[in-house]
Amino acid sequence: MELEVKREKLLLRAGTQKFEWHIEPRYWRMPAIWIGLLIVLPIFIYIVYPQLLPTIIDANLLAAIAIPLGWMTIGTGRMNFGPQFYIGAGGYAAALASIHLGWGPAPTLLVALVAGLFFGLLMSPLSIIAGGLYYTLLTLLFPLVFLEVTFIYTDIFKGDVGLFGVLPLISVGNFTLNQFLICMLALFIMLIYLLIVDKLLRSKFAPQMSAINDDEEVAEAMGVNVKKVKIISFTIPAVMMAVLGWFYAHYYGTFAGITYLPLAFMLKILMVSMIGGRVQIYGNVIGGYFIAFLELVLIMLLGDYSPVVFPIILLILLLTLPEGLFGLYRKRRYREYLPTLHVRR
Amino acid sequence: MSEILRVNNVSKHFGGLMAVSDVSLSINAGETVGLMGPNGAGKTTLVNMITGKYDVDAGDVQFMGHDITKMPTYQRCHLGISRTYQIPRPFPELTAIGSVAVSALHGKKRQNQSFEDALTDATHYLEFCGLFSKRNVLGKDLTLYELRSLELARALATTPKLLFVDEVMAGLNPGEAMKAVRLIERAKEEFGVTILWIEHVMAVLMKAAQRVVVLHYGKKIAEGLPQDIANDPFVIECYLGSCHA
Repeated sequence: MELEVKREKLLLRAGTQKFEWHIEPRYWRMPAIWIGLLIVLPIFIYIVYPQLLPTIIDANLLAAIAIPLGWMTIGTGRMNFGPQFYIGAGGYAAALASIHLGWGPAPTLLVALVAGLFFGLLMSPLSIIAGGLYYTLLTLLFPLVFLEVTFIYTDIFKGDVGLFGVLPLISVGNFTLNQFLICMLALFIMLIYLLIVDKLLRSKFAPQMSAINDDEEVAEAMGVNVKKVKIISFTIPAVMMAVLGWFYAHYYGTFAGITYLPLAFMLKILMVSMIGGRVQIYGNVIGGYFIAFLELVLIMLLGDYSPVVFPIILLILLLTLPEGLFGLYRKRRYREYLPTLHVRR
Repeated sequence: MSEILRVNNVSKHFGGLMAVSDVSLSINAGETVGLMGPNGAGKTTLVNMITGKYDVDAGDVQFMGHDITKMPTYQRCHLGISRTYQIPRPFPELTAIGSVAVSALHGKKRQNQSFEDALTDATHYLEFCGLFSKRNVLGKDLTLYELRSLELARALATTPKLLFVDEVMAGLNPGEAMKAVRLIERAKEEFGVTILWIEHVMAVLMKAAQRVVVLHYGKKIAEGLPQDIANDPFVIECYLGSCHA
């Protein structure tokens, strides 16, 4: 094993493997500041106004769903309109295991992972077989079919009432502290997802995904194993989303398909992606926080009118900010150190 | 010279249309072979079968001793088969250097190659094709000649042993066309690639190819030296009309 500093990069050679990390401050200064702010924010809110903690949890979870969705979209070169299917799969698997077997969050996490992996692998050939609108419509259909299944088999899924009695995620006795710890866990999951996808976009995997995104046939002719990239880019994000289903089930102590599987929830996730910055991973974080807080503010200010005003504001933002909120930041501080990916379809 | 590619009695039909019928072909290492024929003769279909875009209905394809008839396209590329397209197909949202880096990174398995290494490789191929100054321009913003050069750089970056050049002259003015021809000849000299050159312009093949194969209605109707092919009455008749092979 050999460690050396070369061209402002830290190089680790282990046998035939080589690992590189940028150590120049310009590569990590801004992410470090933003991550620091994201960690300080819940602490500040816990001290000053703890009633806002559920909104922060919601924001982190929305961002955490949108990040793997971005990877899935880029890697398969297709727009998936059914990310909530995997949340449903993970959530129901964890809730059923918790209720019927009395399992706590740790073992049910494994169940959710297996459920996500199973359904991810099962559905992944779709990204090879179906293209364009057909793929989008099929992915749109699956959560709705799943919802119907939960209504048909009410003895298992308990229909629109949902499964209740799921063991809590964290239980320390104090409700506010509980909320704070859950908030930090949601933030931790979101940051881990951000780190994974960020690392991926700076790896050798990224140009393969860009090429597939632009022209699959040419990418394959230039030596890219398109099927492998698509299966990986479909399955792993599906597992990541299933973990968030597990989180929802244990966080609320109940899991009902009617909350997560309908189109309304999917639209919220897509809005996070689009308003945040057109599948830019950092944009997803901005989008998650923006949507969660906008919803809260509108409910406080407009009450019953908020369900009408909320989509109107989002629609205006979609039309006026083609590159999303993150695009505003990028325009001012545009430095293309590493390749970024753009999704056209 | 050793044989690099052997195509044995391949056929391909699309519904009722026989695009390629019982065509056999062999190419030796270091050769430049011209493939010509009128529009719809099956030239590109034949190349698509060799590169793996289309499955072969009958016959087989051997490349450097390997039977590649059922092999996926990307594995054929790893073995050393690369191509350019008749209508340029760049990666529109990738920069020129990014496009070539994709080929440098995945065209052939190289141990321990990072993306930065691939970018360095890509600059070499871009410079060779005269596109270094356009390295940061997106594929969608390049001119037709630049796109053809980019296609060549992208194909060369996979370090091919056999390169298919598909109608490189199409859409170029005479000056650009001559530059393109010289570029391909230089690529052959510098990288030692074997070339199968699909072309309509006989003057180019007369100058560049050692051997010419002629297709018509999906069948091979002639094969030989460029001079012989140019004077073959049957080929002339096919190009000018009243020939039904």
